[in-house]
Amino acid sequence: MAILKTTEVSRLFGGLAALIDVSIEVNENEIMGIIGPNGAGKSTFTNVVAGVYLPTSGKIEFCGQDITRNAAHEKCHAGISRTFQLTRPLVGLNLIENVMLGAMFGRNHPMETARKESMELCKFLDLKNIERPISAMTALEIKKMEIARALATKPKLLFLDEAMAGLNKNETMDMIDTVRKIHSQGMTIVIIEHVMRVIRELTHRVVVLEWGKVLCEGTYDKVSADPRVITAYLGEEAEC
Amino acid sequence: MLNSIVNKFKQRNFLLGFIIMLSVIVLIGIYKPAVLVEGLQRAALYALIALPMALLLGIVDIINLAHGEFMMVGAYFAYFMSVQFGMDPIVTVLPALCIFSVFGIAVYYLTFVHVIGKPPLNQLLLGFGISLILSEGMTAIATNAPRKLSLDYVSSSASIGDFTFGTFEFIYVGAALILFVVLQTFLKKTSTGQAAVAVGQNLRGATIVGINVKRIYILIFCISIALISAIGPLFMTRYTLFPQMGSSFTLKSFSLVAVGGMGSITGVVYAAIILGMSETLVLSSLKYGKWAEIIYFALIIGVIMYRSHQRQVK
Amino acid sequence: MKYSKYFAVLVLLIASVVLPNFLGLYQLQIMNFVFVYIAFALSWDLLLRSGQLSFGIAGFAGIGGYISVLCGYHFALNPILCILIGSAVAGIVALLVGYQVLKLRGLYFSIVTLAIGEIFRVIVRNLEVTGAAEGILLPNAIFMGNAFKTYWLMLTIAAVTIIISILFKKTRIHYALTSIANDEIVAASSGVNIFKYLVIIFVVTSAIQGMAGAAYWQIYASVTPEGAFNLGFALLPITMALFGGVGTTWGPVIGATILSVTAEYLKLQFPHGHLLVYGFIMVVAILWFPRGIMGVINKITAKFNN
Repeated sequence: MAILKTTEVSRLFGGLAALIDVSIEVNENEIMGIIGPNGAGKSTFTNVVAGVYLPTSGKIEFCGQDITRNAAHEKCHAGISRTFQLTRPLVGLNLIENVMLGAMFGRNHPMETARKESMELCKFLDLKNIERPISAMTALEIKKMEIARALATKPKLLFLDEAMAGLNKNETMDMIDTVRKIHSQGMTIVIIEHVMRVIRELTHRVVVLEWGKVLCEGTYDKVSADPRVITAYLGEEAEC
Repeated sequence: MLNSIVNKFKQRNFLLGFIIMLSVIVLIGIYKPAVLVEGLQRAALYALIALPMALLLGIVDIINLAHGEFMMVGAYFAYFMSVQFGMDPIVTVLPALCIFSVFGIAVYYLTFVHVIGKPPLNQLLLGFGISLILSEGMTAIATNAPRKLSLDYVSSSASIGDFTFGTFEFIYVGAALILFVVLQTFLKKTSTGQAAVAVGQNLRGATIVGINVKRIYILIFCISIALISAIGPLFMTRYTLFPQMGSSFTLKSFSLVAVGGMGSITGVVYAAIILGMSETLVLSSLKYGKWAEIIYFALIIGVIMYRSHQRQVK
Repeated sequence: MKYSKYFAVLVLLIASVVLPNFLGLYQLQIMNFVFVYIAFALSWDLLLRSGQLSFGIAGFAGIGGYISVLCGYHFALNPILCILIGSAVAGIVALLVGYQVLKLRGLYFSIVTLAIGEIFRVIVRNLEVTGAAEGILLPNAIFMGNAFKTYWLMLTIAAVTIIISILFKKTRIHYALTSIANDEIVAASSGVNIFKYLVIIFVVTSAIQGMAGAAYWQIYASVTPEGAFNLGFALLPITMALFGGVGTTWGPVIGATILSVTAEYLKLQFPHGHLLVYGFIMVVAILWFPRGIMGVINKITAKFNN
């Protein structure tokens, strides 16, 4: 059952077409990967679905509702949450307060309930010392905090935009486990990634974007063997 | 440059706007020729005063709330030179340019250099503080008493048919035209000018391609201060001088730059023409003349609201 | 530790209530200034916490002042009621304007706030019903000029503002405003309805400014266009908030207190250009003490605790 369905979504920035007629379906409780070379439109797609940008054309349906023209906070209330490629912690708040933001405004909880839920989320994601300011956190912790903040809004669909970027081997394993944990609770997850190992381990299905268009989709094995995908990433064989 | 003008005309909106403006001007010229002439002169004065801010704010994104106060200081300088040494204010323009470039560099290194790259609030408040220092300092030195020079050539006039108009004010038209051409040439044809535009558009990109951003900021700031201070002598030949005169011009220049479109020198000129013409038109009406002050506020709010509606698409 | 804070505030409250018994008439008058500027500076800071910079204090204070005096003049209403009506009208104007302009940010928003006051100034100067250039004169000052009651009225207004500021720091509004000021995209993605909160805070702060302005002009029993919409009301509170420390409740309070008293003193010493010192204070504060006095205090206490 498709929880998210985009129909020929395009997004133009002036003369630059970042997304061209992208039609993607995400099924409930699956982990879907979106891959593609730099500039393919992966983050733009996340931004359009999550409401940071409005699509120039096309339709976005979520759980059967048309959310094409909804604002970002409305999409959050509908059940879509996301993290950011370059982490964006709110420096005016500390760790737990950042997470509470999602619970308070994504779910409309009063402060005490929000605090309790946020503390549980921090435990779930193994975040300690929750009263710390942002300046006292490591990059991995900030990433996890962003995931906690996104989860605090109790989404039905979670976009993880390059959550593995900048992590070493151990941290990546840690993050893969975390994603599996989140998924086991019934979440539908879309992972945008460059690290192929992660895609191979986690995803049920993969969509490949190139120059704003969907190049192909399928399981990781099918997609990684597709000559078009190889060309997109590595270029064509040189003529010697 | 001719090519770009021709290209602009090919855009439909531009052509339409231009024709409308032209026809309005012609209509005014036929029915109220005095308004046409005075409106043009007033527009030129506004444009003249706003252009240095267009350079500083529009091109390199530095907001200097003490803009009008620098003009006031330049005007008092000319007054002083006239009273002490009998120099005609117009002659003091050149010395003013030199002296106030140095003054501008000093001010920059003392103050603005510390707030580049900081949140705009800091620049706004710093500029406001400097404007207070300058206007209150001048009050302390010269008191609040308004001063005016009486120069004969200021009241020169000419007549066409049965309507007379002041001819001295055309000096503002001339000065505005010259400044406009000089600025456009500087920004489009010289490498320093283009570097300044680059800095304003994409700071990081500018540093990456090797532009000495620090030097650009000092240079543009210094030019802006020198220009606006040198306009002071021109201003005070015709108008009364008092320490608080600067603030209303800061506000008007700011509005013209914002309305004209940040970064567009020609936009500022168009905005100045519209503002000058409409103010003079309203002032000429006996019944509604008192409302002239509101014109440019209504104008700004109108444009801003229009822009906010345009912003519906993120 | 926390209780000492509450105790200190209680002491302050009691002290301010009984203070009139120890002050002369002139000093009581100065205290009225202090309270008005506390209300202005703190309400300006409240809006700043959302990242929006307003130059509209003069505008809303003037609207409040004019409406309250007009109500007294044309309808002979109870002065307190006039003040409340003035505050309400200021809030309504903020609602109407804010609905349109809060879709924009930054410089554009700030210019519009400045324009509001100037537009209303020209309007009231040109209409007969608002007294034209001479303004309006009320037959009596509020409370018939009773200095004690006037003092307590202004104290109440300042106290209300302080309470609202504390509330905004302790409730969810603090989170909303901070998130909007820090990163709007994150705020929106986390479910914050940015527009709604900006309108709320704009209306509340404008109503406060209207209320303070209304009370102030009831004390003087008159309004004039240049007096009520004087740009000093827009700019001086900003200096005070900056000097005391923006983003805090007590910063603007401290700043307003110290600087209003200083301004009075300076006015007596230097009839010409007494605001010169203000200018220097602003420049020095921006360059070296961007967090104001509260920032300095916090640094010192932090060093102490370590």
